[in-house]
Amino acid sequence: MTNVKIASLDDGGNFRSQSIDQQSIPLLEQQALQAQSANIQGISGASYTSAGFAQSLQAALSHLGL
Amino acid sequence: MGTVVTIDIYTENGRYGSEVTLALARARARLQRADAVFSTWKADSPVSRLRRGEITLADAPPEVADVLDLCAFAGEISGGWFDPWAMPGGVDPTGYVKGWAAQGALAALAIDEISGAMVNAAGDIASFGGSEPGAPFRIGIVDPRLPGQLACVVGLTGAIATSGGYERGAHLIDPHSGRPTTRAASASVCGPDLGLADALATALAVAGHPVLDVIGSLDDYEALIIGVDGRRRWTDGFPFLSPD
Repeated sequence: MTNVKIASLDDGGNFRSQSIDQQSIPLLEQQALQAQSANIQGISGASYTSAGFAQSLQAALSHLGL
Repeated sequence: MGTVVTIDIYTENGRYGSEVTLALARARARLQRADAVFSTWKADSPVSRLRRGEITLADAPPEVADVLDLCAFAGEISGGWFDPWAMPGGVDPTGYVKGWAAQGALAALAIDEISGAMVNAAGDIASFGGSEPGAPFRIGIVDPRLPGQLACVVGLTGAIATSGGYERGAHLIDPHSGRPTTRAASASVCGPDLGLADALATALAVAGHPVLDVIGSLDDYEALIIGVDGRRRWTDGFPFLSPD
Protein backbone atom coordinates (compact mmCIF):
# COMPACT_ATOMS: atom_id res chain seq x y z
CA MET A 1 0.00 0.00 0.00
CA THR A 2 1.24 3.43 -0.83
CA ASN A 3 0.39 6.93 0.20
CA VAL A 4 -0.94 8.40 -3.01
CA LYS A 5 -2.27 11.86 -2.30
CA ILE A 6 -1.72 14.80 -0.05
CA ALA A 7 -4.00 17.76 -0.27
CA SER A 8 -4.21 20.84 1.86
CA LEU A 9 -6.66 23.62 2.61
CA ASP A 10 -5.38 27.08 3.28
CA ASP A 11 -7.29 29.65 5.26
CA GLY A 12 -8.85 31.14 2.14
CA GLY A 13 -10.56 27.81 1.57
CA ASN A 14 -8.47 27.14 -1.53
CA PHE A 15 -6.64 23.91 -2.13
CA ARG A 16 -3.04 24.17 -3.13
CA SER A 17 -0.06 21.94 -3.33
CA GLN A 18 2.28 22.03 -0.38
CA SER A 19 4.59 24.99 -0.44
CA ILE A 20 7.26 25.35 2.16
CA ASP A 21 9.84 28.08 2.61
CA GLN A 22 13.23 27.08 1.28
CA GLN A 23 14.77 28.35 4.51
CA SER A 24 12.87 25.87 6.63
CA ILE A 25 13.85 22.82 4.59
CA PRO A 26 17.02 21.87 6.52
CA LEU A 27 15.08 21.99 9.78
CA LEU A 28 12.23 20.04 8.21
CA GLU A 29 14.59 17.40 6.90
CA GLN A 30 16.09 16.98 10.34
CA GLN A 31 12.63 16.68 11.85
CA ALA A 32 11.46 14.33 9.14
CA LEU A 33 14.41 12.05 9.78
CA GLN A 34 13.28 11.74 13.35
CA ALA A 35 9.73 11.08 12.15
CA GLN A 36 11.03 8.49 9.70
CA SER A 37 13.07 6.73 12.37
CA ALA A 38 9.91 6.53 14.50
CA ASN A 39 8.08 5.14 11.43
CA ILE A 40 5.08 7.38 11.84
CA GLN A 41 2.41 8.43 9.33
CA GLY A 42 1.04 11.50 11.12
CA ILE A 43 1.57 14.04 13.89
CA SER A 44 -0.84 15.21 16.58
CA GLY A 45 -0.10 18.45 18.40
CA ALA A 46 -1.48 21.80 19.48
CA SER A 47 -3.27 23.63 16.66
CA TYR A 48 -0.95 25.51 14.37
CA THR A 49 -1.86 28.51 12.25
CA SER A 50 -1.31 28.59 8.48
CA ALA A 51 2.03 30.30 9.13
CA GLY A 52 2.94 27.80 11.84
CA PHE A 53 2.25 24.84 9.57
CA ALA A 54 5.40 25.45 7.52
CA GLN A 55 7.49 24.89 10.66
CA SER A 56 5.51 21.89 11.87
CA LEU A 57 6.48 18.24 11.98
CA GLN A 58 3.39 17.42 9.93
CA ALA A 59 4.72 19.68 7.17
CA ALA A 60 8.03 17.84 7.39
CA LEU A 61 6.24 14.52 6.91
CA SER A 62 4.08 15.82 4.06
CA HIS A 63 6.97 17.56 2.31
CA LEU A 64 9.11 14.46 2.14
CA GLY A 65 6.15 12.24 1.29
CA LEU A 66 6.90 9.87 4.18
CA MET B 1 -10.36 28.49 10.11
CA GLY B 2 -6.91 30.01 9.68
CA THR B 3 -5.04 26.77 9.48
CA VAL B 4 -4.07 23.88 7.22
CA VAL B 5 -5.75 20.52 6.69
CA THR B 6 -3.82 17.64 5.16
CA ILE B 7 -5.50 14.54 3.75
CA ASP B 8 -3.58 11.29 3.34
CA ILE B 9 -5.18 8.31 1.62
CA TYR B 10 -3.89 4.79 1.09
CA THR B 11 -5.05 2.55 -1.75
CA GLU B 12 -4.42 -1.08 -2.64
CA ASN B 13 -1.68 -0.54 -5.19
CA GLY B 14 -0.89 3.13 -4.76
CA ARG B 15 -2.98 4.06 -7.79
CA TYR B 16 -6.33 5.74 -7.84
CA GLY B 17 -9.08 6.42 -10.33
CA SER B 18 -12.07 8.68 -10.70
CA GLU B 19 -13.93 7.26 -7.66
CA VAL B 20 -11.07 8.31 -5.40
CA THR B 21 -10.77 11.71 -7.05
CA LEU B 22 -14.50 12.23 -6.53
CA ALA B 23 -14.29 11.18 -2.86
CA LEU B 24 -11.43 13.64 -2.31
CA ALA B 25 -13.46 16.40 -3.96
CA ARG B 26 -16.36 15.64 -1.62
CA ALA B 27 -14.06 15.70 1.40
CA ARG B 28 -12.67 19.08 0.34
CA ALA B 29 -16.18 20.44 -0.25
CA ARG B 30 -17.19 19.47 3.30
CA LEU B 31 -14.18 21.28 4.75
CA GLN B 32 -14.83 24.36 2.65
CA ARG B 33 -18.51 24.37 3.61
CA ALA B 34 -17.63 24.08 7.33
CA ASP B 35 -15.11 26.91 6.96
CA ALA B 36 -17.65 29.14 5.19
CA VAL B 37 -20.35 28.53 7.80
CA PHE B 38 -18.38 28.38 11.06
CA SER B 39 -15.28 30.54 10.61
CA THR B 40 -14.98 33.23 13.26
CA TRP B 41 -12.14 34.68 11.18
CA LYS B 42 -14.59 35.61 8.42
CA ALA B 43 -16.74 38.57 9.43
CA ASP B 44 -19.63 37.56 7.14
CA SER B 45 -19.83 33.85 8.08
CA PRO B 46 -23.17 32.76 9.62
CA VAL B 47 -21.46 32.02 12.95
CA SER B 48 -19.78 35.44 13.01
CA ARG B 49 -23.15 37.05 12.32
CA LEU B 50 -24.79 34.89 15.02
CA ARG B 51 -22.13 36.02 17.53
CA ARG B 52 -22.87 39.66 16.75
CA GLY B 53 -26.61 39.07 17.14
CA GLU B 54 -27.35 39.94 13.51
CA ILE B 55 -29.11 36.61 12.91
CA THR B 56 -30.80 34.05 15.14
CA LEU B 57 -30.02 30.35 15.28
CA ALA B 58 -33.16 29.72 13.20
CA ASP B 59 -31.71 31.91 10.42
CA ALA B 60 -28.38 30.07 10.37
CA PRO B 61 -27.67 26.96 8.24
CA PRO B 62 -29.07 23.86 10.03
CA GLU B 63 -25.64 22.41 10.84
CA VAL B 64 -24.99 25.31 13.23
CA ALA B 65 -27.79 24.10 15.54
CA ASP B 66 -26.55 20.52 15.13
CA VAL B 67 -23.02 21.48 16.17
CA LEU B 68 -24.26 23.55 19.12
CA ASP B 69 -26.27 20.51 20.31
CA LEU B 70 -23.11 18.41 20.06
CA CYS B 71 -21.20 21.14 21.94
CA ALA B 72 -23.77 21.05 24.74
CA PHE B 73 -23.38 17.27 24.95
CA ALA B 74 -19.57 17.57 25.06
CA GLY B 75 -19.89 20.26 27.71
CA GLU B 76 -22.01 17.97 29.85
CA ILE B 77 -19.56 15.08 29.53
CA SER B 78 -16.62 17.35 30.40
CA GLY B 79 -18.27 18.53 33.61
CA GLY B 80 -18.52 22.08 32.26
CA TRP B 81 -14.82 22.42 31.38
CA PHE B 82 -15.72 22.69 27.68
CA ASP B 83 -18.15 25.57 27.24
CA PRO B 84 -18.47 27.44 23.92
CA TRP B 85 -21.05 29.74 25.55
CA ALA B 86 -18.45 31.05 28.03
CA MET B 87 -16.08 32.33 25.33
CA PRO B 88 -15.36 36.05 25.02
CA GLY B 89 -17.33 37.69 22.19
CA GLY B 90 -20.29 35.30 22.27
CA VAL B 91 -20.87 31.61 21.56
CA ASP B 92 -17.82 30.11 19.83
CA PRO B 93 -18.03 26.46 18.74
CA THR B 94 -14.51 26.55 17.19
CA GLY B 95 -13.22 24.07 19.79
CA TYR B 96 -15.63 21.46 18.41
CA VAL B 97 -15.98 22.44 14.77
CA LYS B 98 -12.48 21.66 13.55
CA GLY B 99 -12.76 18.05 14.69
CA TRP B 100 -16.35 17.76 13.53
CA ALA B 101 -15.45 19.06 10.06
CA ALA B 102 -12.47 16.71 9.73
CA GLN B 103 -14.67 13.78 10.81
CA GLY B 104 -17.20 14.79 8.15
CA ALA B 105 -14.49 15.01 5.50
CA LEU B 106 -13.26 11.55 6.50
CA ALA B 107 -16.79 10.13 6.01
CA ALA B 108 -16.63 11.26 2.38
CA LEU B 109 -13.50 9.12 1.91
CA ALA B 110 -15.16 5.87 3.05
CA ILE B 111 -15.25 4.06 -0.31
CA ASP B 112 -14.01 0.58 -1.27
CA GLU B 113 -10.97 1.86 -3.17
CA ILE B 114 -9.55 3.59 -0.08
CA SER B 115 -8.14 1.22 2.54
CA GLY B 116 -6.88 3.86 4.93
CA ALA B 117 -7.30 7.60 5.33
CA MET B 118 -6.30 10.40 7.67
CA VAL B 119 -7.69 13.93 7.77
CA ASN B 120 -5.28 16.01 9.87
CA ALA B 121 -6.78 19.38 10.83
CA ALA B 122 -3.89 21.35 12.37
CA GLY B 123 -2.77 18.46 14.58
CA ASP B 124 -6.16 16.82 15.22
CA ILE B 125 -6.60 13.63 13.19
CA ALA B 126 -9.67 11.66 12.07
CA SER B 127 -8.84 8.29 10.49
CA PHE B 128 -9.99 4.88 9.38
CA GLY B 129 -7.91 1.86 8.39
CA GLY B 130 -4.14 2.01 8.38
CA SER B 131 -1.07 2.16 6.18
CA GLU B 132 -0.98 -1.67 5.95
CA PRO B 133 -3.71 -4.30 6.44
CA GLY B 134 -4.29 -4.85 10.15
CA ALA B 135 -1.78 -2.21 11.24
CA PRO B 136 -3.04 1.00 12.82
CA PHE B 137 -1.54 4.31 11.77
CA ARG B 138 1.43 5.27 13.92
CA ILE B 139 1.01 8.85 15.14
CA GLY B 140 3.63 10.95 16.91
CA ILE B 141 2.51 13.34 19.65
CA VAL B 142 4.52 16.58 19.66
CA ASP B 143 6.70 17.20 22.73
CA PRO B 144 5.27 20.45 24.18
CA ARG B 145 8.67 21.48 25.53
CA LEU B 146 10.51 20.75 22.24
CA PRO B 147 7.83 21.17 19.52
CA GLY B 148 10.19 19.92 16.79
CA GLN B 149 10.35 16.55 18.52
CA LEU B 150 8.02 13.76 19.56
CA ALA B 151 6.95 12.97 23.11
CA CYS B 152 5.66 9.50 22.20
CA VAL B 153 4.08 7.41 19.45
CA VAL B 154 0.54 6.01 19.58
CA GLY B 155 -1.34 3.40 17.54
CA LEU B 156 -4.35 5.23 16.15
CA THR B 157 -7.81 3.66 15.98
CA GLY B 158 -10.22 6.42 15.00
CA ALA B 159 -9.37 9.91 16.14
CA ILE B 160 -6.81 11.82 18.19
CA ALA B 161 -6.91 15.47 19.23
CA THR B 162 -4.19 17.39 21.06
CA SER B 163 -4.53 20.78 22.76
CA GLY B 164 -1.90 23.01 24.31
CA GLY B 165 -0.67 26.57 24.32
CA TYR B 166 2.77 26.00 22.77
CA GLU B 167 1.86 26.85 19.14
CA ARG B 168 -0.38 29.87 19.50
CA GLY B 169 0.22 31.08 23.07
CA ALA B 170 -2.45 31.31 25.75
CA HIS B 171 -5.72 30.95 23.82
CA LEU B 172 -7.52 28.32 25.90
CA ILE B 173 -10.15 29.95 28.10
CA ASP B 174 -11.21 28.59 31.49
CA PRO B 175 -15.03 28.70 31.27
CA HIS B 176 -15.26 29.11 35.04
CA SER B 177 -13.08 32.25 35.20
CA GLY B 178 -13.30 33.53 31.59
CA ARG B 179 -9.50 33.86 31.59
CA PRO B 180 -6.80 32.15 29.53
CA THR B 181 -5.67 29.13 31.56
CA THR B 182 -3.85 25.87 30.97
CA ARG B 183 -3.14 23.26 33.60
CA ALA B 184 -1.33 20.92 31.20
CA ALA B 185 1.35 21.75 28.61
CA SER B 186 -0.24 19.21 26.27
CA ALA B 187 -3.50 17.26 26.43
CA SER B 188 -4.32 14.45 23.97
CA VAL B 189 -7.57 12.51 23.63
CA CYS B 190 -8.14 9.38 21.49
CA GLY B 191 -11.55 7.97 20.60
CA PRO B 192 -14.03 7.18 17.85
CA ASP B 193 -15.15 10.75 17.06
CA LEU B 194 -12.82 13.69 16.45
CA GLY B 195 -15.42 16.35 17.31
CA LEU B 196 -15.83 15.02 20.85
CA ALA B 197 -12.10 14.22 21.17
CA ASP B 198 -11.29 17.82 20.15
CA ALA B 199 -13.68 19.26 22.76
CA LEU B 200 -12.41 16.92 25.48
CA ALA B 201 -8.76 17.74 24.66
CA THR B 202 -9.57 21.44 25.05
CA ALA B 203 -11.28 20.75 28.38
CA LEU B 204 -8.38 18.56 29.51
CA ALA B 205 -5.76 21.20 28.70
CA VAL B 206 -7.72 23.80 30.68
CA ALA B 207 -8.73 21.64 33.66
CA GLY B 208 -5.94 19.05 33.97
CA HIS B 209 -6.50 16.08 36.26
CA PRO B 210 -10.26 16.41 36.93
CA VAL B 211 -11.03 15.91 33.23
CA LEU B 212 -8.45 13.11 32.95
CA ASP B 213 -10.51 11.22 35.53
CA VAL B 214 -13.72 11.96 33.57
CA ILE B 215 -12.21 10.61 30.33
CA GLY B 216 -10.88 7.57 32.18
CA SER B 217 -14.48 6.73 33.09
CA LEU B 218 -15.66 6.79 29.44
CA ASP B 219 -15.65 3.48 27.56
CA ASP B 220 -14.31 4.60 24.20
CA TYR B 221 -12.00 7.52 25.01
CA GLU B 222 -8.46 7.62 26.39
CA ALA B 223 -6.25 10.56 27.34
CA LEU B 224 -2.68 11.68 28.05
CA ILE B 225 -1.55 14.91 29.71
CA ILE B 226 1.99 16.24 29.78
CA GLY B 227 2.56 18.79 32.54
CA VAL B 228 4.65 21.94 32.26
CA ASP B 229 7.30 20.03 34.25
CA GLY B 230 7.21 17.22 31.67
CA ARG B 231 5.41 14.82 34.00
CA ARG B 232 2.92 12.56 32.23
CA ARG B 233 -0.35 11.06 33.36
CA TRP B 234 -2.65 8.93 31.23
CA THR B 235 -5.77 6.77 31.33
CA ASP B 236 -5.35 2.99 31.54
CA GLY B 237 -6.05 2.22 27.89
CA PHE B 238 -4.03 5.01 26.24
CA PRO B 239 -2.60 3.40 23.06
CA PHE B 240 1.13 4.02 23.54
CA LEU B 241 3.40 2.29 21.05
CA SER B 242 6.67 3.86 22.25
CA PRO B 243 8.07 5.12 24.57
CA ASP B 244 5.72 5.48 27.49
